[in-house]
Amino acid sequence: MKKLIAVTSCPTGIAHTYMAAEALEKAAKKKGVEIKVETQGSVGVENQLTEEDIREAHAVIIAAGANISKERFKNIAIIEVPIAEAIKASDDIIDRALNVKAKEDKLADSVTEIKQQRNETRTGPYKHLMSGVSFMLPLVVAGGLAIALSFIFGIEAFQEEGTLAAALMQIGGGAAFALMVPVLAGYIAYSIAERPGLAPGLIGGMIASQIGAGFLGGIVAGFIAGYATAYLKKIIKLPKSLEGLKPILILPLLSSLIVGLLMIYVIGTPVSGIMNAMTNWLEGLTGTNALLLGGILGAMMAVDMGGPINKAAYTFAVGLLASNVFEPQAAVMAAGMTPPLGLALATMLFKNKFTKPEIEAGKAAWVLGISFITEGAIPFAAADPFRVIPSIVAGSAVTGALSMVFGATLRAPHGGIFVLPIPNAVGNLGGYVVSILVGTVITALLLGVLKKKATQ
Amino acid sequence: MEIKDILNKELMILDLQSITKEEVIQELIKPLLKEGIVTDEVSFLKTVMEREEQSTTGIGMGIAIPHGKSSVVKAPAIVFGKSKNGVEFQSLDEEPSYIFFLIAVPENSNDQHLKVLSQLSRKLMNEDIRENLLKATTKEDVFNAFD
Repeated sequence: MKKLIAVTSCPTGIAHTYMAAEALEKAAKKKGVEIKVETQGSVGVENQLTEEDIREAHAVIIAAGANISKERFKNIAIIEVPIAEAIKASDDIIDRALNVKAKEDKLADSVTEIKQQRNETRTGPYKHLMSGVSFMLPLVVAGGLAIALSFIFGIEAFQEEGTLAAALMQIGGGAAFALMVPVLAGYIAYSIAERPGLAPGLIGGMIASQIGAGFLGGIVAGFIAGYATAYLKKIIKLPKSLEGLKPILILPLLSSLIVGLLMIYVIGTPVSGIMNAMTNWLEGLTGTNALLLGGILGAMMAVDMGGPINKAAYTFAVGLLASNVFEPQAAVMAAGMTPPLGLALATMLFKNKFTKPEIEAGKAAWVLGISFITEGAIPFAAADPFRVIPSIVAGSAVTGALSMVFGATLRAPHGGIFVLPIPNAVGNLGGYVVSILVGTVITALLLGVLKKKATQ
Repeated sequence: MEIKDILNKELMILDLQSITKEEVIQELIKPLLKEGIVTDEVSFLKTVMEREEQSTTGIGMGIAIPHGKSSVVKAPAIVFGKSKNGVEFQSLDEEPSYIFFLIAVPENSNDQHLKVLSQLSRKLMNEDIRENLLKATTKEDVFNAFD
């Protein structure tokens, strides 16, 4: 039995929304067809369609004078009618919806959908943190690469005023990197409390960076600013005539004062203490400790290939760039490159252990690997997780550990192999390349040992 | 809250005199002014007519539900009106309208009232209720139509 769904909505949302809903329900009942109608009227959304409703439906009827987002329905057939039509000719519309050809499932769409769902299922603090990180990243990438470009003229060239090297350093170090922590904090707060959260978040982040609390301070400031604003938004009730002042004046001012004073008098000192201790520890890190940290960061990059654990390691390393610590960044990028690279190499060395489509995908994995897109390993890991994941984790851990032990540094947070030729962007380039190669080979060999013969 | 709770005998006109759309809406606004529910006749008429211009609220089957949301409305209210000879309302079925519900909603209404209004809209799609309303001759009949 075909199921139908519908959405009704009209400009004032008082009458037609509901009459159209009633008319469609009656017409469907008469024909013995199951229908669920979502109404978007003045009371808000009622009888909301769930993911499941949409998936099971043969077609959706959209009867709306007002604009309705069709994003949700991109995988099913859509019948769009004027709202008046739904009231007047509901029988015909139900017939049309029953007879419309169902939209075919597109395989390619479902892959992007999985990725999107991953984003959508992020909730709570993790979602807010990731939102902040995603807004910060372009600054780090642009800034980091501008700094790297400045080093083309020599590592000290920027100290000569008036030179291009100095200008590039001003763009990257002076402007972009200075904005990193404020933007991180600002958009964490924005994600929590929407627009009124942005200003207090930016301010809190700026203070964190001024008092040397670094990205840790920025994260703390962002969460305080966001939750403070959201809380104030809920508890402050104003007379109607003053309501307009709330988002523009009252919320930003009060929450900025709260986050600012807390940062300066309470939280700032301990956090900058932790940050300093961590920075010093990382700078003095040699031998076994460096090996361990690199190994852990490397393993984290590979274990969920772009998931939360990967992002945690990456965020840690990127955040440290703001405190002039460059070794972990080198380790995480190298370790994030080896999973696709190792798989690509394995598809060449052990052709009998991969299916034809996988061997084809191996070619793309080279490109994804050298571009530092760890997600390139996902299709392989999804097909055979218990053999693939240990192999890539082992390779990445070795790569991360070697990169740290060699003391390789990286000033750009992204770019894969393409930043390596920039002179001075990578410290100890030779050691860095060796660590990437070793991890790639280890992953490939382990795959050769662990993976079973593929059934073609 | 039920539809009956929002219907009001003071807000019923069983013998509408008007013969044009604008006139009938004006006539339906009158009791709202008298009861102090609408404070500005011209402004509210304009709001309702603007809604009509977007698309007619004459839903056919002899029924029209002009409505408006405005800050000159102090409380949600429904005015019931009936015309013996019918009014040309540019209805969807191009037939005259005999039954009118003028719905007045303040700019900020609580959900409870809006829910009642949405119920009214749904009920009017029910043939029995429409028949009862067309047959109604007293204010009591109008209340009972929704039983």
